[in-house]
Amino acid sequence: MLADIINPYFLQILSFILINILLAISVYVPLSSGQLSLGSAGFMGVGAYTSALLTIHFDIPLIIGILAGACVAGILGIIVGIPSLRLSGVYLAIATLGLGEVIRVIFVNWESLTKGSIGLTGIPQMGREILNFAKGFGFDPAMIGLKSNQFVYLVIVLILLLLVIATIWFVVRQQNSRVGRSLSSIQMDEKAAESMGINITYYKVLSFTQGAFLAGLAGALFAHVMGYISPSDFSYHRAVEILIFTVFGGSEVILGAVFGATFLTLVPEVLRFISDYRYIIYGIVLIILMAVRPQGIFDIHLLNRLKGLKRSKGGVR
Amino acid sequence: MVLKIQNVSKNFGGINALKDVTFSINEGEIYGLIGPNGAGKTTMFNLITNIFEPTSGEIIFNGENITALKSYKITEKGICRTYQNIRLFPQMSALKNVMVGGHCRSNAGVFSSVFRTKSQRKEEQELTKKAEELLELVGLLEFKDTFAENLAYGQQRRLEIARALASNPSLLLLDEPAAGMNEKETDSLYDLIKMVQSMGITVLIIEHDMPLVMKLCDRITVLNFGEKLAEGTPEEIQSNEAVIEAYLGKEEEEEIA
Ligand SMILES: Nc1ncnc2c1ncn2[C@@H]1O[C@H](COP(=O)(O)OP(=O)(O)OP(=O)(O)O)[C@@H](O)[C@H]1O
Ligand SMILES: [Mg+2]
Repeated sequence: MLADIINPYFLQILSFILINILLAISVYVPLSSGQLSLGSAGFMGVGAYTSALLTIHFDIPLIIGILAGACVAGILGIIVGIPSLRLSGVYLAIATLGLGEVIRVIFVNWESLTKGSIGLTGIPQMGREILNFAKGFGFDPAMIGLKSNQFVYLVIVLILLLLVIATIWFVVRQQNSRVGRSLSSIQMDEKAAESMGINITYYKVLSFTQGAFLAGLAGALFAHVMGYISPSDFSYHRAVEILIFTVFGGSEVILGAVFGATFLTLVPEVLRFISDYRYIIYGIVLIILMAVRPQGIFDIHLLNRLKGLKRSKGGVR
Repeated sequence: MVLKIQNVSKNFGGINALKDVTFSINEGEIYGLIGPNGAGKTTMFNLITNIFEPTSGEIIFNGENITALKSYKITEKGICRTYQNIRLFPQMSALKNVMVGGHCRSNAGVFSSVFRTKSQRKEEQELTKKAEELLELVGLLEFKDTFAENLAYGQQRRLEIARALASNPSLLLLDEPAAGMNEKETDSLYDLIKMVQSMGITVLIIEHDMPLVMKLCDRITVLNFGEKLAEGTPEEIQSNEAVIEAYLGKEEEEEIA
């Protein structure tokens, strides 16, 4: 029964959607303090390579490898975030895009460690590791009516789903707090925020680092879902793709990032039957949206209307 | 003495916005800073809050030299300001704007915010309550959920004052709070500033509305082309020849014209 509905192909798409949601949020978070970072692909690569190399060479548990990947990316975020404070807007975007390219070039050229442009294979796959672990206790997927590979992909999706929910929970709670108010006040008027007693250096580096950490986490998860990675997975195409998720869905609200990543991951898959033309349609969808709704699908006004809130009671101008 | 401005000068690439200005403000005073356009009044505020550092001179607050202190530290010390060209957080509700003002008097970090610890919830409650009291004080409580950008001009000015008060300042700097207000709004602004004074807060106010300034201020400094022209009580200022010549006379001529 269960076995009939669970299609590994759909589950794999679902796992890409979930990873892309994490990546979209990794752009959204620094943006909530006004920092447009295109470094996510680079941080993603750092997380992926860190965790892959650690688990391949040192046989450490995946969970520790993944955490290490996210933390190394986060630390790199602090190191890059501090000098980047001088930059804003497009200048920051270009600098972080450059950073991503530098990281990619390091992956390509540090062949003794990274195997160059061929990339790393044989990375422990998350679902299989868990299956093997469970088998150690005498578990068999057949016991719940699943084939092995169905179980493997189902476990991956469940873990990713849990992480995505935890991330959204974290970000939303942070947003509705003193920390979140500080971030949005910096985004709206940095100088005024500072004269209200907010240490803008701290909060900007904080949100930049959180974004880097999240991208690193997504990268590490990606490595252990795919089982193989190469530098081209983290090229500037990826950086732009991640940015588009967030901008398309609406960069003012977290729902925008979630929606953008989901929708834009699905579109090429759903349109697979028209093969090469699908990217033309993808492009046209983007152009139309940016023309009619430059702020993205969701914005604060739309959300408030959805919530049925009266945003302005008799405010006149 | 709350604030002491000592031989302060500020040079902007050749333009002397302020030249060797000295004055000091006593505790509990409402102190006026007036002068023609471009006299350097806003620049003085920007130096006090260290948006810029002075070219020379010192700024002493409660006996401490704050000249080179970071802006946000100065707010922590107890100086908060409003802006001549209103700088609220436009897409934030009035209530949240005021709560941001309370930032430096609260301390919840990422961890306690995400896990909503007991102390964090208590702090948020207190912040909200205080913000509502301040909105009430400036007469904006009914607009607490309205975005700042959707408030009328005079309301925005009062919201900025509430936001500044949320930081518990001992010295409040107001940059032309009556600008763009009608007579009725100006009257209620007068009451509000008096109320602020009665709360034990010292006020330094820049204002072009002379009747308001003369009625409100205990003492006044007049700036002209970056230099201090005169200092004294409203009566002394109104009868000062140099001031009439440089500023007050002109204002009247303009009004007649
Ligand atoms: N950031 C700046 N860079 C360069 N020059 C500046 C800067 N800020 C102010 N100035 C100059 O300093 C002088 C004083 O300006 P300031 O804004 O302090 O005047 P003000 O007394 O507040 O005038 P107003 O009554 O019009 O507000 C002006 O000549 C102005 O052009
Ligand atoms: Mg001014």
